[in-house]
Amino acid sequence: MDFSVIVRNLPYLEGGLLVTLETAILVILGGSVCGLALGLLRTSRSAPARVLAAAYIGLIRGTPLLVVLFFVYFGIPPVIGRRFSAYEAAIIGFILFIGAYIAEDYRSGVLAVARAQREGGLALGLSPRQVTRHVVLPQAVRLMLPALFNQFVRLVKFTSVASVIGVTELTGAALAVNARVFQPVPIILALAASYFVLCALLSLLGRWLNRRYALQP
Amino acid sequence: MQYEFDWSVVWRYRETLLDGLLLTILLSLAGLVGALALGLLGGAAATSRGRAVRGAALLYVELARNVPLLVHIYFWYLALSFLKLPAFLCGVLALAVYSGAYVAEIVRAGIQSVPSGQRAAALALGLTPAAALRHVVYPQALRITAPSLAGIFSQLVKDSSLASVISVAELTFAAGVIEGDTFRTFEAYISITVLYLIVVTAVTRAALLVFGRRGAEVDRRF
Repeated sequence: MDFSVIVRNLPYLEGGLLVTLETAILVILGGSVCGLALGLLRTSRSAPARVLAAAYIGLIRGTPLLVVLFFVYFGIPPVIGRRFSAYEAAIIGFILFIGAYIAEDYRSGVLAVARAQREGGLALGLSPRQVTRHVVLPQAVRLMLPALFNQFVRLVKFTSVASVIGVTELTGAALAVNARVFQPVPIILALAASYFVLCALLSLLGRWLNRRYALQP
Repeated sequence: MQYEFDWSVVWRYRETLLDGLLLTILLSLAGLVGALALGLLGGAAATSRGRAVRGAALLYVELARNVPLLVHIYFWYLALSFLKLPAFLCGVLALAVYSGAYVAEIVRAGIQSVPSGQRAAALALGLTPAAALRHVVYPQALRITAPSLAGIFSQLVKDSSLASVISVAELTFAAGVIEGDTFRTFEAYISITVLYLIVVTAVTRAALLVFGRRGAEVDRRF
């Protein structure tokens, strides 16, 4: 098998890799914030907030990622009268999508924090908000580290779907090269290897963080 | 908002949608059968005492899980294009290999969570090692894994939407057809979202029902 096609197109593929990394980082940040906000609503004391958050999470979790992307890219613009670039649509779609999953992990993290911790905080005179912020959240995040990194790895894989709406990230770049030279075997194998390395590194980082910061039950 | 909704397209294109839905269900079912077969094999291999077998199972799980499903699909469709596999089959193979790795991990965890005393007791009662696995360990493992397996199955239905990329005319592809014909993008994607929701909910409920009942039988026997 001849991998020289990869070497010859390396600058172009590197550009794609950069877009993939940038997308992944933006979505990890945005998705974490969105997931945290949804998770807070989902575990809040206000019933309408809980119901709304649960409905959103249920809807997104029952919908394929590709459909969410198409919806943001094609479905919403005619209704709101504003177009998104493919890249913007991908970022928005990914954040909306992964946020629902992170919210659920967040919820189980909060539920896993012992009830006595919250009561102890309240008994010490902290306000409910302070208890959430200083007692429950730090522990919940440490409990949910493995689940969180699972979502991040999924997310890196999901970024490949952006190629379908025309974002030239890693997969899009590889397909473009293939369309020009038609050497699918080395190109697809190199593509798979790149994602494998990215995901494996991210898993290792997650495992390291978990060893360092996980709560010992 | 000046957009005027026209939901009549959903009714006008009901046949396109139903054909797509049917193909999504077929694709998911075929992928499911393959994923279960690979996953049960992989999970059993991961808990075997042979080192090489365990290594092979680990290699499969890590390779399949850390590569995006879309790349799996292109692998069968583009990299192996000289085989000239039909697009539908490429979708099924990609779904089976990809989801099979997740099933294998769940099965492995399920088998390992059955207390080792169960197997020891079965062997002490005179069951052969294979019979001990088949009648004692696996039924209990299956019951433990039921909720996770249900999650994988609903994931598989959603993942099947990616087959539209290699022009398998399933549900997402159908929405694209309606969109191309009528420019009614919002209505098209809302209607397939609802259909996916229905299928995913049905799959999850059905899986819990089937596996849950089998679990109850195991309970009664012991």
